[in-house]
Amino acid sequence: MSAFRLSHGGLVDRSRGIGFRFDGDDLRGYEGDTLASALLASDRLLVGRSFKYHRPRGIVTAGSAEPNALLTIGTGARSEANTRATVQELYDGLVAKSQNRWPSLKHDFGAINGLLSPFLGAGFYYKTFMWPAAFWEKVYEPMIRRAAGLGRAVMEADPDRYEKAWAHCDLLVIGAGPAGLMAALTAARAGARVILADEGFRLGGSLLSERVSIGNAAAADFVRDVLQELASLDTVTLMPRTTVFGWYDDNVFGAVEKVQKHLASPSPDLPVERLWRIAAKAAILASGAEERPLVFGGNDRPGVMMASAARTYLNRFGVGAGRKVAVFTNGGSGYQAARDLASQGAEIAAIIDGRASAGEAMPAGTRMIVNAGVTKTLGRHRIEGLVVERSGHEETIDCDALLMSGGWSPVIHLACQRGAKPVWSEELQAFVAPDVGPRLWLAGSAAGLSGIGDCLRDGSAKALDCLAALGKPGSAPEMPEVEGEYDAGFAPLWYVPGARDKAFVDFQNDVHVRDLSLAQREGFGHIEHTKRYTTLGMATDQGKLGNVNTVGIVAGMRGVSPAEIGTTTFRPFYTPVSFGAMAGTARAERARPTRTSPLHGWAKKNGAQFVDAGLWFRSAWFPQSGEKGWRQSVDREVLAVRANVGLCDVSTLGKIEVFGRDAAEFLNRVYSNAMLKLPVGRARYGLMLREDGMVYDDGTVSRFAEDHFLITTTTAYATEAMAHLEFCAQALWPNLDVRFVSVSDQWAQMSLVGPKARLVLEKIVEDDVSNAAFPFLAARAVTLKGGLKARLFRISFSGELAYELAVPANYGEAVADVLMEAGRPHDICPYGVEALNVMRIEKGHVTHAEIDGRTTPDDLGLGKMFAASKPDFIGKRLSSRFGLTAADRLQLVGLRPVDKAKELTAGAHLLKEGAKPSMANDQGHVTSVCFSPVLGRSIGLALLKSGRERYGEKIVVWDKLRGHDEIVAEVCSPVFVDPENSKLHQ
Amino acid sequence: MSFMPRHILEERIGDFGRPVHADHLTVLRRPAIASVLAGGPVEALSGMAEVSLRPVGPGQWLAVSQSLPGSLLAESLAAALAGLGAHVVDQSDGFVLMHIAGPNVRRILAKCIAVDLHGDVFAIGQAAAMMCCHVAANVARVGADAFEIAVPRSYADDVFEEIVEMGREFSLTSAFDDA
Repeated sequence: MSAFRLSHGGLVDRSRGIGFRFDGDDLRGYEGDTLASALLASDRLLVGRSFKYHRPRGIVTAGSAEPNALLTIGTGARSEANTRATVQELYDGLVAKSQNRWPSLKHDFGAINGLLSPFLGAGFYYKTFMWPAAFWEKVYEPMIRRAAGLGRAVMEADPDRYEKAWAHCDLLVIGAGPAGLMAALTAARAGARVILADEGFRLGGSLLSERVSIGNAAAADFVRDVLQELASLDTVTLMPRTTVFGWYDDNVFGAVEKVQKHLASPSPDLPVERLWRIAAKAAILASGAEERPLVFGGNDRPGVMMASAARTYLNRFGVGAGRKVAVFTNGGSGYQAARDLASQGAEIAAIIDGRASAGEAMPAGTRMIVNAGVTKTLGRHRIEGLVVERSGHEETIDCDALLMSGGWSPVIHLACQRGAKPVWSEELQAFVAPDVGPRLWLAGSAAGLSGIGDCLRDGSAKALDCLAALGKPGSAPEMPEVEGEYDAGFAPLWYVPGARDKAFVDFQNDVHVRDLSLAQREGFGHIEHTKRYTTLGMATDQGKLGNVNTVGIVAGMRGVSPAEIGTTTFRPFYTPVSFGAMAGTARAERARPTRTSPLHGWAKKNGAQFVDAGLWFRSAWFPQSGEKGWRQSVDREVLAVRANVGLCDVSTLGKIEVFGRDAAEFLNRVYSNAMLKLPVGRARYGLMLREDGMVYDDGTVSRFAEDHFLITTTTAYATEAMAHLEFCAQALWPNLDVRFVSVSDQWAQMSLVGPKARLVLEKIVEDDVSNAAFPFLAARAVTLKGGLKARLFRISFSGELAYELAVPANYGEAVADVLMEAGRPHDICPYGVEALNVMRIEKGHVTHAEIDGRTTPDDLGLGKMFAASKPDFIGKRLSSRFGLTAADRLQLVGLRPVDKAKELTAGAHLLKEGAKPSMANDQGHVTSVCFSPVLGRSIGLALLKSGRERYGEKIVVWDKLRGHDEIVAEVCSPVFVDPENSKLHQ
Repeated sequence: MSFMPRHILEERIGDFGRPVHADHLTVLRRPAIASVLAGGPVEALSGMAEVSLRPVGPGQWLAVSQSLPGSLLAESLAAALAGLGAHVVDQSDGFVLMHIAGPNVRRILAKCIAVDLHGDVFAIGQAAAMMCCHVAANVARVGADAFEIAVPRSYADDVFEEIVEMGREFSLTSAFDDA
């Protein structure tokens, strides 16, 4: 028995016991414990196995830098790997399992790696697993990944909810220790909107671990009083359990709040984690300082712990780290830990100080060994003693805990996440943050201060600076007296000579001093290279503990100052953030917003199958009973439409109203074909080009009045086209009087198509829709019987007599129902986008399968829509460049297999007969294919070199990359149905 | 012939008998909404008591009325703006208007909207275009703890579902205004 729970003291509630389970053993802790403090109180020193050598490891820290105590918490789908026991709040029923061991933590087969360690130095796998090359992916890598590593992710779906939220404030204070609390209090009293965030479940930071008195009260009581005042102000938001993990542009901070990670069964009405984006006018980083380990032989033995962590366990959790405690230190922290532990009855086996003279006075009788170093620790799964060496004289000292302190490093990660590099301070012997501008200030220990009184004053002073910058003057609160402080000063001790066991610099990644030496020898001397070569500073702790020692030791190896070595790059996230929190509610089918057509209900009750089309669900086809497969339904729909009449939902197309004195001129410049003289009451097909002369989008343009147009875009480009128009109006031609607004959502639009379309339409439209009164390309407002206002367009995408009827969206379903009823005597048929696509291919119309960003109007057979006589329009200038007028450009053609039974595939390449398949021989490709029920065969559209000159030529359709046999097809006109357009004008 | 309009959230919200908690979302069944496009200021509309004019962007507003029928709103706006080079488009079917109110409304909307909705920043009577649940929306503050959100009809189902989900924590209820 070594670690133990005190009978009194600390901030745990001994009247509220909590049962939990670790590796199958039932253990108990108290409310207020972390998992780590409860494990220590149960004398469980061995909590994990190391990454590479599977060495036994124990709890080293009491905070978020913990490299060793990584456990899997929870069961089933709620298992979470690599949880740091040191920050995990204890809850009733918590189930924790150790990781990276087999068959058990005590008897781990992988520990054999320790014996093989001479062969397993840094980068060993690059050198060892080289042959045969094919083995790397299939054998070596999976094997290495299995052997090394941390916890495993579960493959079950996460059952819990996550949320994302925004917060705004004048001042964000990160860290609720002495500096943070005073900063928040100062700003809050000045009336500022303040957010105080801290990763701990109890606000107070390091004050919760101190035995000092502040203003004649215990530190914890001081914290309570400040928090009470802050909580009473409605301008203040307190955010415990919230880690601010990143600093982003515009002073937005990312934070993750663990809302229900401390509950065995989370409420379904709350998220388990919430991701915050905090937009702060200014922020104060009061993240404190991290104590550095010492790098000596066997420094990873369970029972070796940071001195400050031991003080936290003692003072906050009422847990003694050991009964016979040795201390190895280079500064005041080690002495303070010894004093605290001694005051609770622990025996101090010795204080070993690496400095030439003793730092501080200790109670009489305490053994002090100065100018000495630990070279080895004894014991297996827990420390039983150590070997100390001074000037060649070795001595073994018994102990059951060894506390180490190598000085302090300000926690400056956040301040250095946006490009600023940490700066070495000779005075502090630490890296500090440079000036990062007026919106993020560092305060307290994060700014290099060490005394509690200094931190309290600094927090307040920095808050006043922020308030002044925000134009909100404030005044400093009265500073309370702090009693019982100690001097935390230290002298650097990067490398302890004479190590007789591995001396680890990075516990989590099993990197020891000799690995660093190897990296120097092999040319990976730059600190970023050293990191990649040895893996130090990677994984979940990101080198919070070890990196600074690495820098110091590498500097020593090279005989330079740490300033010359510098640090590796600080990036978000400060601590690991779950994917769940980052996704929020945007998972599975809610990964993006969905859009619902006004005719969705109509399509649904007519049995539609839907297909994703961007954010929309569009009706794809309408199967009838007895039909086997979609093709059968689509064939029926096409034949029914071409023979009688069909109804299709086209509401998803973009619809933009264009107004203004110069609307016609504007459209004339935006479209490649002429728009200026489009008569009122008429529609026209329109083609938009990009500046480079390629086709951008197509649609129709209808003119309702001299200064009023309605244009349509494709479904896919509705948003882009609107943005394009805005750009043209605002940036290109701001002098034109033109305005537009999207009405895509205002109208339900349905296509009524087929030779009997007019017969159906007549029954519901009040106006005359005869061929004479409403000819091909007419476009007008009409009134439906009963008075509903609508818009009617006689336009066709199928080659049939066709109308598009637009009605206000809320009426869409009712009008479609009435059309179906009116069409019943004519065998009206609902059809979807599949049949729509078949009919447009039969008619040779293009979509974005052909408008692929590389085709000009002429390529698509739409050369007559390039109105060269217009003075200017977007795309005109660059259309005359050489490559765009070349004779061998790909041109749109039709294809039909010579063998009627063969089927074309979209994406297939075209080759001359007898030509070897190669890119040099490539003649073009197939863009769209379908089975044409009208022709009873597969047909396709293709882009073929000089295609229009090659009608009648036989060409090879080659698609062997996808395993299809070669097909010989005849090149033909892309218009397969009604080339004379006789049906359009019926 | 008479055609019955159907609200897009009809199926999701259902009919009567839904509870009303302190935090409540009301979907307005037939609000009148119109887009107003104008080159200059639209002071001519300031006299229209039943109309709330909400800025969308430069030279563009969303006019909202809960008492005028849809087409009448567009017509009266057009009449008021006649000769000023302004244009009005009826959008009553193009947007879904939701009224959300209650003591926790800002905490709910903080999960839907990135903009600061604090009263000092976004005061009663103010409105602006902003993203709401990833969708371009127009949000107006109509009371200390009350907001109106207009979203394009096709997105309304998705946005409604997301707001209700974000309101679970506060037992947010929802219903049509005529329920």
